Amino acid sequence: MKTFSKYWSIFQITLINSLAYPGELVGRSLMIIPFMWIFYQLWKVTYSAAGADVISGLTLRDTLWYLMLAETIELGRPPIARTMSESVKDGSIAYILNKPYDFLWYQFSTAMGESIFRAVLNAMFGGLTIWLLVGAPNHPEGFIIAIPAVLGAWVLHFCINAMIGLSAFVVEDVSAFTWVYQKLAFIFGGMLIPLDFYPQWLQVIAKAMPFASAIYGPARLFVTPSLELFINVMSLQLIWILVLSLILAVVYRRGITQLTVNGG
Amino acid sequence: MNNLKFLLAIWKANLQSAMEYRISFLTQMIGMMANNFLYFAIWIIFFDRFKDVRGWGVNDMYVTFGILASAFGLVSLLFGNAFMLSDIISKGRLDYYLSMPKPVLLHAVSSRMIASGMGDFAYGFVSYALSGYLTWDGLARYVLAMLLAATVFAAFLILTQSLAFWFGTMSNFSNLVLNAMLTFGIYPITLFDNYAKIILFTIIPAALMGAIPAEFIRGFTWQSLSQLLIGASGFLGLAIFVFRAGLRRYESGSAIQIEV
Repeated sequence: MKTFSKYWSIFQITLINSLAYPGELVGRSLMIIPFMWIFYQLWKVTYSAAGADVISGLTLRDTLWYLMLAETIELGRPPIARTMSESVKDGSIAYILNKPYDFLWYQFSTAMGESIFRAVLNAMFGGLTIWLLVGAPNHPEGFIIAIPAVLGAWVLHFCINAMIGLSAFVVEDVSAFTWVYQKLAFIFGGMLIPLDFYPQWLQVIAKAMPFASAIYGPARLFVTPSLELFINVMSLQLIWILVLSLILAVVYRRGITQLTVNGG
Repeated sequence: MNNLKFLLAIWKANLQSAMEYRISFLTQMIGMMANNFLYFAIWIIFFDRFKDVRGWGVNDMYVTFGILASAFGLVSLLFGNAFMLSDIISKGRLDYYLSMPKPVLLHAVSSRMIASGMGDFAYGFVSYALSGYLTWDGLARYVLAMLLAATVFAAFLILTQSLAFWFGTMSNFSNLVLNAMLTFGIYPITLFDNYAKIILFTIIPAALMGAIPAEFIRGFTWQSLSQLLIGASGFLGLAIFVFRAGLRRYESGSAIQIEV
């Protein structure tokens, strides 16, 4: 219990810290507005050209609210891999490793603390934009139902990003890996196009991957909530979280033996 | 002529500096090319399902994405500090450039090379080659359009980042307009109505970095060439004017520092 309270305190401190510069927080969140506007333009034309109100089970309104939540998850997560890479490069990692807390749990607590308000503001600005453009979501209750899946999505993102960050122990600069990871999440997570619009064979592959559990699952649950979908999304997420956190723990133990601290 | 010699010398030094870490340089270049390829795969999936957007097909996207990537890469390679000019201004780091006998703006923006820009630059040509529009005269137009689009982009960066002379640190605003420029530049211009198009030629000149250069590459027209020439010279002139006006307000940071 004492161990948990330590990380809870780190989480709370980061959460409060993220409010220290409200202008910065708001400014960063405004980025979602042009994205939402251009998605609206693209999908309005696409639905109109297809001459259909519903494509693969999604209306235009569903698609845009889906994309709003997908963007909120993506823009809300902090750049953990880059932060870890920077701390290896400038040697400041030495000050984290010698403290009486677990390095990964510390990173996880700070990442979650940084995510909350970022995501809330992104959801507010993104939601307001979409609301003005196409109206309220068809299932407003989906927002509450999707919250556990959004939290699970951040845990998944953390596991993958922390693994990329840990590669800094060996290669120092991880930017190339983060770019590729982000784009894989775009494609297999259904970040810009809902996975339902993909060819069948690609849907099967993408939906089985962790990226889909991190983006598509929560976003689809938000627009078409049902008990069956909730169980599917949450159980798949849980499996991926268990697998990836296990791999992360192993990678960390191996990586720490190869770390070279620069100055500090 | 002197300025050109100075630029060539500084670019050579930047390249030598980047090549000091060859593995890192290659990793960033290949990583960025893979990044662009994966991003474009989304458009391939989109057009495979929906065929075209008001007459704009996947081949048009190849050209648009290609020219935007090459122009972005060229500015990253040759004028990498243009992306962080507001930071340099607000932290008083212009002192260093002011103390040198060279044009301040030119010296400041060209003093950094972003290695990943090589990946963008090269990927653009690959994308153009895959578009089905590749011809020898088309390639010549591609190079000319890339230079003009890069001029518009560099000028846009200088213009927006120079606002730091008046408003101080504004990294969020800079990121916002940069993202808007790149996002709007990539999407098919046929999506936008006339009001939106006015914005894309003026406030956020994304059309001059994506759609118009792509139109010029697909087939020569005096209209697209003149739009690019007027846009590039107009934005460059405005950027230099705003930077100079801002520089008169600049106050030294009095910080002792070494520029590397």
